[in-house]
Formats: sequence, structure tokens, C-alpha cells
Amino acid sequence: MILLEVHNKIIYEKIAQAFSSTDEKADNITEQLADLDGVIYHLTSSKKEGYVVLSISMNGYSQLVKFGADEVLRREYGPYIVEPESGYDFSICLNQQDLPATEEERDALYKKFSLLKRNLLAAPFEKAFIAQENKQTTEIMEVPYRDNESIYVFALQDHVTVIFSTEFKEDTDKIFGKVFLQEFADARRQPAVQTAPQVLFSKEPPLELRNLNTLRDSEDINYVTFVLFPRHYTEGPVREQTISNIPLFRDYLHYHIKCSKAYMHSRMRARVDSFLKVLNRAKPEVALDQIEKKTASGRTFRKFK
Amino acid sequence: MSNTLKPYLNAVKATLTAALCLENFASQLVERHNKPEVEAGSTKEVLLNSVVISRNENEKVLIEPSINSVRVSIKIKQADEIEQILCHKFTRFLMLRAENFVILRKKPIEGYSISFLITNFHTEQMFKHKLVDFIIQFMEEVDKEISEMKLSLNARARIVAEEYLKQFSG
Repeated sequence: MILLEVHNKIIYEKIAQAFSSTDEKADNITEQLADLDGVIYHLTSSKKEGYVVLSISMNGYSQLVKFGADEVLRREYGPYIVEPESGYDFSICLNQQDLPATEEERDALYKKFSLLKRNLLAAPFEKAFIAQENKQTTEIMEVPYRDNESIYVFALQDHVTVIFSTEFKEDTDKIFGKVFLQEFADARRQPAVQTAPQVLFSKEPPLELRNLNTLRDSEDINYVTFVLFPRHYTEGPVREQTISNIPLFRDYLHYHIKCSKAYMHSRMRARVDSFLKVLNRAKPEVALDQIEKKTASGRTFRKFK
Repeated sequence: MSNTLKPYLNAVKATLTAALCLENFASQLVERHNKPEVEAGSTKEVLLNSVVISRNENEKVLIEPSINSVRVSIKIKQADEIEQILCHKFTRFLMLRAENFVILRKKPIEGYSISFLITNFHTEQMFKHKLVDFIIQFMEEVDKEISEMKLSLNARARIVAEEYLKQFSG
């Protein structure tokens, strides 16, 4: 699995399970689930009354609302929106009687529910893309989606810029992160990805962000800039795809850094074993002092300890 | 094997074989104590001259012999910060398992990446020439391992970046 999935698989499966008539295990669900970027979901269902409620809590929800998250959510989940549960930012409810008739439609609906986080994050991107298409610029929209880490989205005359600030906590992460980011910046030389957005990274905040007063001054923060041109967000599936993928960048990067570390670890384990084998070869099978030495007349020596 | 590595390893091998001429030697200062003299350092007359064999400024071996113990410290090549962190991780990983390695010292001597301490008890229980072989093989493989890890890190980074960006150009 190189790429991360956009939808939340657990939610998708649980909702499908809650409504499946054949599944014997289907019971009332009350579950708290975590997703990337510190998102917490709360999923409750009742078999008897035939409903599923899905609530989400997320860092920076209030900012997202400012950038039009409400409209996006209303568009996507219109009839399903209910009052948010206490402790959560947003809730949607699906009733058994509202389920579409065909299998495919139902599946698509479950999928849509599991895309809640993605749709929530889509708002600033949509806003910027639409503004740019109308040749307008937007202010810098900051989404503090994690503690200490933010996404900045803004439209300029001819393109949209997305900037991630990401923090590497450990020394190893810092160095591995640098290697990975360098490859992201250089990747456009490959023929297969020449039309991909340009990626830049720096330790200094990019010029556009210098004036923000919310920037944290820290050695461990890297800024990654994506320059998106209109071809990356032509309306339709291309735009949807971009909106799905861009916010996952940070998770994707960190996931692979962790994977590399795990791989190094398993490699070192194997290497240590092989070194141990070499060292153990130095030990004679019978310890040297246990070998019985006899004289010609049959007497034995014994070593005093 | 590159042509400077071979004479380097040969020199280490010859020096180690000569240095590993150990005998039991009880402490002269404390009765009924038996310490590796090279570590204790309290009896000057049983310490021998230490030898540094270096391939270049980044790679060298320090061999400190004494009457009942030899300390071998290796400085592993670290060309850039990736190699530095990989080397640090790898040696740390080994030294955490020093109990299993018997001759491995839990901490390296200052200025070196990893140290071994071989005492007369080790040479009594193990074949001396195999011990020397172990150290030589270790030196050979540690470099190889670190450069392979570095390559695999770069390769992974490249694939990861390409796969991600491919999504936008499809």
C-alpha cells in the first residue's frame, strides 16, 4: 500500500454492517474512531430503530466553517444533517427508510459518509479554485488541522498555492524528512510526473506567509509549497481528485517516514543476528576447558579453578 | 572490494592478531580483583602502546593492548548526515545488545563509533583467529549495511514522491 485511502474504511464497513440484513453480528454500535490528523469520529447505531449517527470532531473546525465548510457539507450531506452531538462539531444521521433501493446506490452513500473528513477539508480548496477561475485572489486561508501544523491555501492571479507547515519531532525524522522532501521537489524531472504540481520546500516560511502572526518560530518546522495550476483543478473528477489528495500529503509523508524507519529496524535486527552467528562461530562446540586430556598412561588432567 | 580497503583490513588483522596475546593477570592494587587493565588504567607498566590504523580521516581503528585485555575502537565512515544518523542508530542498536555480543563494549571510546573489549577470558573460551575474523567481517559489513540502508531510503523516497505526484498528472 503506497498511497493512503481517502475514505475511512472502518466507518464504511461499520455502516454497511449496521444496515445489512444478513449480517448476524450486526448489533447496536457505539464506537469512537480515530482518523488521521487527530480527527475523532463517534459512530452510534440502533438496530431496532434503524439509524446510524456519525459525528466528527476536528481541529480547526471553526476556521473551516469560515471558509465555507457549511455549504460544502450541506451540498454533500443535505438531508442527513442533524444537530451536532455534544462534544462533536458536526453530525449526520442515516435512517433505514431513507436507504436507496439498489445495492450500488447504497454503497455510494456509505462511501460518502466515510468521506466526511475529506469533504470537511475541501471547503478552502474549493473556494480558492473557484476564485482563481474567476481571476480573483483570496486571502490566505489557514487551516490549523493539527496542533502546531497548518495548511495555508490561497488563490493568486494565475494559480493556487497550498502551503503545509509540518513538524518533525525526532532527529531521525528530520533527516529522513529532508530526503523525502528533496525527492518531492526533484520528482518533476521524471517524465511520468512532469505535469504534476511544482513542489518546493524550505525551513523558512515562504514570503507570502511572513506577515502572518500565527507562525510558530521553531527549528523543526518545514514549509512545503504546492503550486497548483488550472490544469490541476479543472472542474470535475480532476478537481475532486486533487482536493482528496492534497490534504493527505502530510499524512502520506509521515507515514512513509515511519515505514522507512520500521524497515531500517527490521534490517538491523537481521544484521545483528548475522553478526551474532559470526561471533558464535568463534566459540568451540565443546568448551576448551571441558576437553579431557589424557596422558599416555591413561591419567587425566584436571584444571583447578 | 576497493583497493584501499584490502590493505587497511590486512593491517588491522595483523595488528589485532599480534595484540591478542593475552594472559591472566590479577590486579596488582586490589587483592582478589581481576580487571581488564586497559580499562582500569591504574597499572601503567602493563599497558602497551596503542596503535591507530587509519584509512582516511573518517575511517580509523584504534587498538589499545594491555597484558590481559585489548580494546578495539572503530570509527565508521559517515560522509553525510544520513549516514551519520544511520550509523548512530545501528551502533546504538548493537550496543543495546552488548550482553549477547560478549566482546562488545556498551559505550564507544570518545571519537569512535563502536568499541570492543576482548579480555583473556574471551580468548580462553573462543578461538583467537575467529575473533579476529569477526572484527574484520564486522568492519566490512557495517559499511556495506549503512550504504545499502541509505540507498534503500533514497529509492523509497523517490518512489513515494513519484507515486504521489503521479496522481495529479493522470
